[in-house]
Amino acid sequence: MTTEANATVRSVKRKDLAGSKRLGMWALGWQRFKRNKTGMLGLFLVCVVFFVALFCPFIAPYDPSDQSAMLEFRSKSPPTWKNPLGTDRMGYDVASRLIYGAPTALIVGLGSMLVASVIGIILGGFSGYIGGMGDEFLMRFTEFFLVIPIFIVILVMVRIFGVVVIGTWAERIPYLNLSTIVVILGVFGWPPIARIARAEFLRLKEAEFVEAARCIGVGRMGIIFRHILPNAMPSLVVIIALGIGGSILLEAMISFLGFGDPKAISWGQLLYFNYEFLKIAPWASIAPGMAIFITVLGFNLLADGLTDAFNPRLKE
Amino acid sequence: MAATPRNNDHLIDIRNLRVHFFTGAGIVKAVDGVDYDLKAGETLGLVGESGSGKTISSLALLRLIPRPGKILSGEIFFENENLLDKNEAQMTKIRGKRIAMIFQNPAYSLNPIYSIGDQLGEILMWHEKLGRQEASQRVAELLRLVGITDPANRLKQFPHELSGGMKQRVCVARALLCKPALVLADEPTTNLDVTIQAQILDLLQELKEKFHMSMVLVTHDMGVVARMADHITVMYAGRICETATARTIFREPMHPYTAALLETMPRVDQSYSGDKNSRLTVIKGRIPNLIEPPSGCRFHTRCPEAGEHCSRIMPETIAVSDGHMVSCLNRGSTGKETSRNGQSASDRGV
Repeated sequence: MTTEANATVRSVKRKDLAGSKRLGMWALGWQRFKRNKTGMLGLFLVCVVFFVALFCPFIAPYDPSDQSAMLEFRSKSPPTWKNPLGTDRMGYDVASRLIYGAPTALIVGLGSMLVASVIGIILGGFSGYIGGMGDEFLMRFTEFFLVIPIFIVILVMVRIFGVVVIGTWAERIPYLNLSTIVVILGVFGWPPIARIARAEFLRLKEAEFVEAARCIGVGRMGIIFRHILPNAMPSLVVIIALGIGGSILLEAMISFLGFGDPKAISWGQLLYFNYEFLKIAPWASIAPGMAIFITVLGFNLLADGLTDAFNPRLKE
Repeated sequence: MAATPRNNDHLIDIRNLRVHFFTGAGIVKAVDGVDYDLKAGETLGLVGESGSGKTISSLALLRLIPRPGKILSGEIFFENENLLDKNEAQMTKIRGKRIAMIFQNPAYSLNPIYSIGDQLGEILMWHEKLGRQEASQRVAELLRLVGITDPANRLKQFPHELSGGMKQRVCVARALLCKPALVLADEPTTNLDVTIQAQILDLLQELKEKFHMSMVLVTHDMGVVARMADHITVMYAGRICETATARTIFREPMHPYTAALLETMPRVDQSYSGDKNSRLTVIKGRIPNLIEPPSGCRFHTRCPEAGEHCSRIMPETIAVSDGHMVSCLNRGSTGKETSRNGQSASDRGV
């Protein structure tokens, strides 16, 4: 028993060493991540969503705008072989709509977090690096953004923007409403990222290896981009993964309230179209609900696993 | 001191250096009028308790005083050029190329995400404009020189895969990559165990001779300076007490603080036990608060020989013999009267 345990420990260690030869910190993180069951479950769920999103035309049984079930009086039909998840009140195949909703969810999650990361890392990193009064000011500014009830602001802005563009060239931009939501989610979603970036920059700029790099003659840009930022990445990746789940949820809420993009297929919108028929066709509401749940859960578990992998001391 | 003409054959020549830290609690006078110099090829030991300003006065050579510190006044001549007149771009070309530094804690002074080869090679690519291939060849050469076996494979390893002694060897190699004229070693062996300490010190000595470098060795360990240094400068509370050759410091220490420091060193030819007479001596008291340092001689609060005049008069450095400088009123220094109140009032005005 003991020898067996020792053997596993040794093999794990050897694996660690072999892995770290390739990538250092990231490989070590991956080694720890692989041992984390919930983290791996999260990664699996996220991979499933990505797979579905990438190959949706090949997986979906029907076109997402195919309402032909209406003609056969098969709207609101329960799951059958023909429609594996049933049809909704407008004759759409629920499974197909669900599958075509995956790319929308990912675009919203990744897009908004891309915007948020760029703003957050630049502002937070700058704030932490300069320190002093500038840092003080930027952090108060960040807190100001944190206390804004962003959900209401987003609803108002989406509606105003939707009305303002009518009759202008901007109206013809495809998925304008969805892009607006993505950008607004990003513009209001950066404060947590900025705070983490600031904390990491504050810690790392005083780190001895950064001081050593300065003594070697590395310039300011080299210090920031070669020495501080890569070391701050593990913490940032965690908060960004968490943020992706958060923005997908927010977009679902926006769409559920009917403020979403009418041309885009989103899970929140499916709920919005079908919740009134919850008693007659529950499958049409439960399915998108589950899709949102699984995706958000996947990203949250992934973030959790990443935390454990990169900051193992927090848990131990 | 400013009156003495500058000696051109000195590699470094620091005059009246003052570094103050402007903190919320007040101005910390970490280095307050320090002079020292060093000839090419020699080793200077900077000795003192923690907080005596020895690390700060060596960091000043790289112009890398951490905030909120500032170099207030003074001149730092390195290869006959005043480093305080240089701009930041010129300084980055000196750091690492002409003046290199070895840090106290090898575990933290290497970037954890780059392999040894990458982070050492980067320096050569930047300072000497070498290609990647050439750079990694030079790095491997140096790793072999600092006693690392199998350098080709070590290049691919990451800092966390090396032992503490190995990391310090890598740090030594990093400092020597560009064959600098001066190496600043800030307590290079404090965090290593004793056998590794000896190895690293031997290595530094050997490489110093090989590359004809000068070295400033910052330490509180009298044993280390005895072994390594040609000259020793003893610092206390941001000022210099005594400068002399290593031999003189150990044989005939003049300043009471130097004498007290030497007393605190355990000796092999003496036995220590619990009773009063045979305990290891300590210097009573603590290093003073540098926001409001003691008036007059800064050591007078702890000095066994302090008289009434010591708290009034700031001693100036005098030469007691060739190359042996001391600043103590009881050893012949003279000085101006300083009134404690007048000094702090003017400082508050800043």
